[in-house]
Amino acid sequence: MTADQIRAHIDPIRHEFAEPRSLVLPALKFAQTEKGHLTREDLEAVSAATGFSAAFVESVASFYDRLYLEPTGTRVVSVCVTLSCMLRGADEVWERLCDREGVSHHGGTTGDGRITIQEAQCLGYCDRAPCIQVDADETVGPMTPESAGQLVDDLRVAPAPDEFWR
Amino acid sequence: MADYAPVDATVDNLVTFELNGRTVSAPPGTMLVDAAYAAGVEVPIFCYEPRLGPPIGACRMCLVEIEGMRGLQTACNTPVAQDMVVTTNSPNVKDAHDGILELLLVQHPLDCPVCDKGGECPLQDRTFRFGPGKSRFVEPKRHWPKPLELSSRIALDRERCIRCFRCVRFSQEVAQDGQLTMQERGAASEITTFSGDAYEARFSGNIVDICPVGALTSIPYRFVARPWEVTNTPSVCGLCPVGCNTELTTREGDLKRVTGRDDPNYAVEEGWLCDKGRWGYDIIHSPTRLQAPVIREAAGDRTASLEDTLPAVAGLVAGRRVGILLGGGATLEEAGIALDLASGALAGAVVSRLGIPAGGLSALRARPSADLGEIDEADVVVVVGGDPAAQQPVVELRLRKARRFGATVIGAGPRPHALETLGEFTRSAPGALADAIGTFGAPVAAAANPVVLWDEADLAADPAAVDALDALLSGTPNARQIELGTDVNGAGLQALGISTDGVLAAIADHALDALVCVHADPLGAAGRTAWADALASFDGPVVALATHETATTARADIVLPAFTMWEQDGTIVSMTGRAQRLRPGAQGPDEAAAGWELLVALAHYLGAPPVYRTAAAAFAYTAARTPALAGLTADVIGTEGARIGTRPDVSDGSRGVAEGAGLELVATHDQFGDVQTADSHALRTAFQPPAVRVHPATAAAGGIEAGALVVLTSPIGRSERLPLIADDRVPEGVVLAPLGAPGAPVEGALAVDRHRIRVRMERG
Repeated sequence: MTADQIRAHIDPIRHEFAEPRSLVLPALKFAQTEKGHLTREDLEAVSAATGFSAAFVESVASFYDRLYLEPTGTRVVSVCVTLSCMLRGADEVWERLCDREGVSHHGGTTGDGRITIQEAQCLGYCDRAPCIQVDADETVGPMTPESAGQLVDDLRVAPAPDEFWR
Repeated sequence: MADYAPVDATVDNLVTFELNGRTVSAPPGTMLVDAAYAAGVEVPIFCYEPRLGPPIGACRMCLVEIEGMRGLQTACNTPVAQDMVVTTNSPNVKDAHDGILELLLVQHPLDCPVCDKGGECPLQDRTFRFGPGKSRFVEPKRHWPKPLELSSRIALDRERCIRCFRCVRFSQEVAQDGQLTMQERGAASEITTFSGDAYEARFSGNIVDICPVGALTSIPYRFVARPWEVTNTPSVCGLCPVGCNTELTTREGDLKRVTGRDDPNYAVEEGWLCDKGRWGYDIIHSPTRLQAPVIREAAGDRTASLEDTLPAVAGLVAGRRVGILLGGGATLEEAGIALDLASGALAGAVVSRLGIPAGGLSALRARPSADLGEIDEADVVVVVGGDPAAQQPVVELRLRKARRFGATVIGAGPRPHALETLGEFTRSAPGALADAIGTFGAPVAAAANPVVLWDEADLAADPAAVDALDALLSGTPNARQIELGTDVNGAGLQALGISTDGVLAAIADHALDALVCVHADPLGAAGRTAWADALASFDGPVVALATHETATTARADIVLPAFTMWEQDGTIVSMTGRAQRLRPGAQGPDEAAAGWELLVALAHYLGAPPVYRTAAAAFAYTAARTPALAGLTADVIGTEGARIGTRPDVSDGSRGVAEGAGLELVATHDQFGDVQTADSHALRTAFQPPAVRVHPATAAAGGIEAGALVVLTSPIGRSERLPLIADDRVPEGVVLAPLGAPGAPVEGALAVDRHRIRVRMERG
């Protein structure tokens, strides 16, 4: 993504941020919508658009789980593993989903490159635990290992989103 | 390093508080760690470093008990308050020390026996002093591939890092190069650069000094020495006129490391060194280093011993009309002995120096001057001409600090430079700084504490600007000035009243029989064409006393190898007028000697033994005969330096002449593009290859595309071929050219007295 595109996105919201550094985050999220992850060029574009050094921009990106510095699958499936979900069986959902999709229990991207599975900390849907979020879409739950597998199968055949909001 | 800020207990309104049962005072606003340290109580710290800006309280090592406050408080970011009751040695605090150190050491490899920092490591020292002595952590520690080369000069051992953020804060706040950051988070955090690029910056080495553990180490010093087998000598850097205070680490007679001092000189460099000052010392072993005297005869060159060569030199100069030419780096001792020779053993000898004429600048130099440290307190900083980031590197950090503290930075000059982003800068036409100086009157008059930095070369070539600046300074009595000088000891040679006129004219008039160059390279300096012309018809002997091969040593009939500034005693005066002492940190080559010793020996062979036998005595002898150095002795100068008095007025040079037609030549000496940096192995990736810069329109007007090789021709001479860079920040009609580059490519087109020159630019 180019610096001009990023500027066009952040200029209208600039006034909402008292601290100029805070603009780096929306800029990064927007830059990521193009490819689903951030390349060196994207980081440099964010740096040019926000005026902060590329190293600082990268350090911000590296801090957040939902900003990806490596390519991901077409869709990212986040399984909540915090307390409420864990008490309701998130560990079983997580492990069975990982085994089913052939990724390690640390998560990862499926062999066909369609799906990335990752752990997430509390998504705020404790009333629907255990829950799963797909990209930055709505969170669904309660999940079972079976419904999680079905969800992934549905995602695999669904068309790729136009923009990767994560 | 300078872990604790100095506390000035002489001010009024001291705050009084209780510290471990004692009553202690400190100025309001002092952080508790500093107040305690000044009172003799060490509160252990890792992340606190007063020079890095506001404390961040990241490491939690400085926890203390303060009555009335819940829990323990971090002493590094708690200012002292009246009647505060502080305890730093209670069981609670001891418990906190144990806990924090145990946590910091959880992932730390404790590989002190093989770590370069071992023996001088704050983490090691404070663990012994304040730590639990035992860890409950029995699990395997994390391992990283090691070491990571942050650059070709700095190694990073990530497992040793305790994430104190000092290096990141240095890069972000002090040097503001924006390159170092902490990536990832929590236990996975690591110090890195953008995409793992090399950390190439001009002040990068300082992060090695401030790292409180062995995570950041200097690659040239890696596994070279241990702290208990070295000696550390306070000295001063002689690579540029700033005069940064350094510490030389010597092992077995060889210089192994140059660092900032533990106790920095806040008036000069505040402990920060540029990478050239830190790593450039390896040029003492460069292939061009002179190892033994060379006697050049019809039959060919032969090396000889000093014992044989010095009488030969004495034979060549005795009873003759001798010219002694001093380079800008010659020490006060060498210059003083040269003057002494000229009034005794070599009576009638003409002594002059290479450099920019002082004529016309004396008025500015006599105005109240400031040390670099005083830039911090200025509210308005004016930069007139120059390019301090390239020519006097550490000044950059001072200006950035002043800006951080809220000073307004303004300036003008003929060339674009790196510090123009700090404030409002206007581009002046060469030789037309006076108009811009006129606009500084109002902001300087309105300021409480203005500091004006002015460039020696730019002002010397612009008499109208000197008058305007003098008027500005005289009209605002609280304004102080700092000269951005050119020569390492230029101020010292000026203090001795040594003129730039004399030797060249005497050679041209056939009034000399012999020439002795003392650290002077007239055939490689600005105006070398005029020197080459003069020496071509000079048939007397040329003696060159030098440290490295130069164009002049190649021409000389006798070459005397001298010690470098890292190997000898001596005194040099920084551009702000601060006399500081060089001390030897290395043993020079066997058949070489300190310049002052060679000159003393020469006096002996001339049959006129001087009254001094040591550098300190030679300095005292010179100082006693020099009004500007009155009262100074080696002891008075000590390790911190002392300011010299007003330099005598010398009328030399031709002011304000502009010669030639075409593009105006504006020269800049980039410390990282000069022959010394080129010669240094450690700095090989920092070297900036020489090039000339013009505005794209100027290049187009000349029909020359960027990247082509060009030659600049002035009425005085020609430059060597240099690549052309088109840069739209350069004003049209101006050509920027590098001084001091290997082979002295542009010096031939310049005038000896550095007056303004216009050149023709052609494809070369």
